[in-house]
Amino acid sequence: MMMTFNLALRNLLRNRRRSLATLLAMAIGSTSILLFGGFKINISNSMHTTHVQKDGHLQIQHRDFYLYGSGNPTAYGITDYTKILAAIQNDEVLKKMVVVATPALQFGGIAGNYAAGVSRTIIGNGFVAEDINRMRRWNDFGLLNQAPLSALEGASLDAAVVGTGVARVLQLCDALKITRCAKPEKEQKEEGAALPDDIAQLSLQETPVGAAAKDAGGPKIEVLVVNARGAPNVTSLEVLRAEDQGIKELDEVSMMMHLSKLQQLVYGKSAPKATSIMVQLRQSDQIPAARARLIGLVAGYSATQPLAVLDFRELNPFFVQTMLMFDTIFGFVFVLIGGIVLFTVSNTMNTTVVERTVEIGTLRAIGLRRRGILNLFVTEGALLGLFGAVLGAVLALTLAFVINQIGLLWLPPASATPIPFTVTVWGENLMIVGTTVGLIVIAVVSAWWPAYRAARLDVVEALRHV
Amino acid sequence: MTDQLEVDSVAPPSAATQRPLALLTQVFKTYQMDSVEVPVIRGVDILVRHSKFTVLLGPSGSGKTTLLNMLGCVDKPDKGEIVVADEKVAEMSDDALSDFRARNIGFIFQNFNLLPVLSAYENIEYPLLLAGATPSQRGKLVPRLLKAVGLSDRAKNLPGQMSGGQRQRVAIARALARKPKLVIADEPTANLDSHTGATILALMRRMVDEYAISFIFSSHDPEVIKAADDTIVLKDGLIQEVWRDGEKAG
Repeated sequence: MMMTFNLALRNLLRNRRRSLATLLAMAIGSTSILLFGGFKINISNSMHTTHVQKDGHLQIQHRDFYLYGSGNPTAYGITDYTKILAAIQNDEVLKKMVVVATPALQFGGIAGNYAAGVSRTIIGNGFVAEDINRMRRWNDFGLLNQAPLSALEGASLDAAVVGTGVARVLQLCDALKITRCAKPEKEQKEEGAALPDDIAQLSLQETPVGAAAKDAGGPKIEVLVVNARGAPNVTSLEVLRAEDQGIKELDEVSMMMHLSKLQQLVYGKSAPKATSIMVQLRQSDQIPAARARLIGLVAGYSATQPLAVLDFRELNPFFVQTMLMFDTIFGFVFVLIGGIVLFTVSNTMNTTVVERTVEIGTLRAIGLRRRGILNLFVTEGALLGLFGAVLGAVLALTLAFVINQIGLLWLPPASATPIPFTVTVWGENLMIVGTTVGLIVIAVVSAWWPAYRAARLDVVEALRHV
Repeated sequence: MTDQLEVDSVAPPSAATQRPLALLTQVFKTYQMDSVEVPVIRGVDILVRHSKFTVLLGPSGSGKTTLLNMLGCVDKPDKGEIVVADEKVAEMSDDALSDFRARNIGFIFQNFNLLPVLSAYENIEYPLLLAGATPSQRGKLVPRLLKAVGLSDRAKNLPGQMSGGQRQRVAIARALARKPKLVIADEPTANLDSHTGATILALMRRMVDEYAISFIFSSHDPEVIKAADDTIVLKDGLIQEVWRDGEKAG
């Protein structure tokens, strides 16, 4: 074995230029795979972090809320959610894993800027701002970018944050100092005519327009919410800030406000509910254990309401689909590069076999079996694969380090702000080892056929070869 | 130079050595050249004696190399029987033939055919590695072989760093490393100048005498013919004459 290895290694060094060219082809292939893989991992980490910061790792919801809740979210409220929260916070096992457990209430309604005479439907969320900001600090992957904190923390109960699309439609761009917000042609309707009469009337009863505009720092909007009994309820909210949601469709319906204020609007004096309890863990690999524990825990509260525990991947199929797409592209790139490596090594080995035909004949004549010839050339292919893949891994690690230091920015899909362009290769041992082993296997496979041909050479013909 | 190798050298005559080392009986061989069949050996009977220096003579195309290949067990006859060292080689599998060659046959080629990436020492050591010799066995035998061929000071040289004569001496040492019964040499002095050729010839002659190994050559060189114990003359794939110990055999 050592003899074969030694001879194979020396034969590779014999034609240094050709071996180097093959090695470089393999190394560049390996580097490309690893850098793309590192980029894919970075996208995965980035999206993973965004979703965990926004929704937590796990959510306790009414069993049907995810599929049917968008029609009437408040109909799927969790009763006794405070008891469930308390149970989570007091659970000895969960205590070690949970960073934040916080309720959220989703609602559908209409937001209007009565002063401008415009309105639009919205999907809003009420949450505990302090908890949401703690969630936004989660950064288990050590990403360079930080999520902006919610302006609702410490703000008055009447405060709200809207998507920039909502702000644009409600003509709040100037008031919120939103740049790149083109004003529409002046509408022909009289001011206030855009609001339905009943909403306008309710709005007038709830908040005098003139007073609202003068009293607070931010612009005021009127929000119509259907309460738990089906009756409309209107409140006036001060818009603190507009936050870009990344996706236009979401940006044009999104609104966030304090949970307590929203519960007041929806449930009045009845017992308040939440449509979900978001649970953020210290690390994502705690999801299975935490989920199992939570399922056991919520079972005690499921007598009158079917509850489910969903993880963020179930709640965000776009994330799963995106990563599947990247996995497919990665596989495609690997196959393409693997094909190039296969033909490069195969070509090199074929040339080598032709050049060393007499040597093959000599080795066979002095007693080396066919298997020995096969092993010799396959070992040469494997060594080419090993050195090429290792060189590629070193190059990829170096280039990844350089790229990460340059500080390039890019705007990924569904992201509102540019994020650092980074490539995560270091520490991704599975990817590095997988790529290295994969390329070695490809090199061995590509060397096998020329090696087999070499082993089958007729000794006399081989010795006679010129 | 005359250091004794650790081989069963100068063995006393025994029943085994009384029998022929190699025996070819009614051997035929035809090559296919494109669509034309070319008969190269046409019913040859040859007897190779133990511990003898045998030369195959004949013009180009007479079948010398083909006969050597069959005696060296790298080629098989289309018809006829070949017995080498008491074994019928024509019936052996490829692996068995490889092992048989490794045990019983040494090769010396016209172009030396050393492995270019191995030093003189390693080239001689290679057949021993194939045989599974221990490092200690190799460490004893290879220096002795190097000394026997006068290349102790060239042990670390690659073939490319040696002259033709030196390379051929390494090839001889390699051929002898596994203590073969028969050494096949296809025109071993053809690529050497006359002085070096004579030196190589003397060396091989000495190996025959000292180590009781049979050498069989193909050659046109009159010096080789003079040094031979047995001479077999071939023409058009047939035996013309056989001379043994200077006398024409019947």
